[in-house]
Amino acid sequence: MTEYLLYPGCVASVRELGYEMSMRAVFKALGATLKGRDDFNCCMPACLVHSIDYSKGLALTARNLAIAEEEELPLLTLCSSCFGNLSRAKYLLDKNQDLKDDVNKSLAEVGREYKGYAKVKHVVTALYEDYTPEVLMNLSVAPLHALKAAPFYGCHLFLPQRYAKFDDSDFPEKLDHLIEMTGADSVNYHEKSSCCIGCGSFFGKVSEDASLKLAEMILDDVKNSGADAIVATCPFCMMQLEVGQMKLKDEKGKIYDLPVFHYVDILGLSMGLKPEELGLGLRRLDSSPLLKRLERL
Amino acid sequence: MTITEKLLERLLDEKKLSYCQDCGSCTGSCPMAKSLPDKYNPRRLLQRVSQDLPNLLKSDELWLCAWCYRCTERCPSGIQPTEIFLLTRNLASREGYVPENPKAIMRQIMKSGRSVQVPEDFDEWREGYGLPPIGVTISQKALDEQRKIFGKENLRRIEP
Repeated sequence: MTEYLLYPGCVASVRELGYEMSMRAVFKALGATLKGRDDFNCCMPACLVHSIDYSKGLALTARNLAIAEEEELPLLTLCSSCFGNLSRAKYLLDKNQDLKDDVNKSLAEVGREYKGYAKVKHVVTALYEDYTPEVLMNLSVAPLHALKAAPFYGCHLFLPQRYAKFDDSDFPEKLDHLIEMTGADSVNYHEKSSCCIGCGSFFGKVSEDASLKLAEMILDDVKNSGADAIVATCPFCMMQLEVGQMKLKDEKGKIYDLPVFHYVDILGLSMGLKPEELGLGLRRLDSSPLLKRLERL
Repeated sequence: MTITEKLLERLLDEKKLSYCQDCGSCTGSCPMAKSLPDKYNPRRLLQRVSQDLPNLLKSDELWLCAWCYRCTERCPSGIQPTEIFLLTRNLASREGYVPENPKAIMRQIMKSGRSVQVPEDFDEWREGYGLPPIGVTISQKALDEQRKIFGKENLRRIEP
């Protein structure tokens, strides 16, 4: 039995509850144990907190790594941004002893230390590396043959390669591969490894407009590809692509009709889990017409 | 010299920056430049870091990088624009130039341990879906540790 230390992150546990439900249901069905803590701090988005103080920002991120070392369990992140921050901190600190000493000086003030052996996993990297696509395929007792899914990789699951150590940085293919294990067809399109500018949407109106413009480019491309739905890896991307569709409907009358799933949603469906167990009714966009067509409702 | 200054000095090493071939791979890979072509250009931003730093520190453009690392991944000369921009923002923050929106989110993080606000009755709602409680904030001990690590000086930098 595999045990993980769950690092829920802010966006998944507060804004994308349906995804958290789905992820818990799938890992339970896989026989994994998820341990929780009430004292993780925010992953400290590098684009914000490390921008104020690079070293203290890293220390705050590394505080979470130190807790994982204390528990002697791999961290399991739900959000690609958390995965990116934690992997980045680990990479930079393991590589640079001066920086690690500086960070450990800050951590010593609160009685903690980052030693260097913490492991960081993302829901998708854990499924790929700890369970493997072959095992997942064998568990897909109710394959989704009629589904055409557009994979959306986001950024921090695989970028930069030296931090994430997961997939090719120009031509990622592991999510495509995982999607195919559920029996669904993974559709190719130009924007599949694009950025949602979720992490850059903090600046205010300018960056919100930028992220909506990019969402429109991505959604137009997905629509043209003939896909029925988007399959993402990150709750922040999910939110941007869901809210993007709602805004573009209000502002421009554009109807995309593209439910946004997380990979665990379609994996769960293919394993025979019910849409309500996967929290699919809790999403911003209605996926019930598609689920009916797939004979899951 | 602090570790941040040492890192910045290394990343901004004139010799290394002169490796820039002006190829524009960074700008061509950048989602923010794709979306805001007349407002954001990482290749020019990188030039300004070495040639126009005092003005750059006061400019909003410095805060538009969405931290996706495509430029860093693709630069044929191994320059790391993403980390350079993060470190340059440290210099801006020391001089008091942090835009209001990022400050507000950081205050939220320091107050609750999370970047998004959790409503008062949220745990009841979560319970309705069979999810464990998360609390309105992370534990008090964790909040105290967080503020202690970040330090008084940085807390002042994110005040309105």
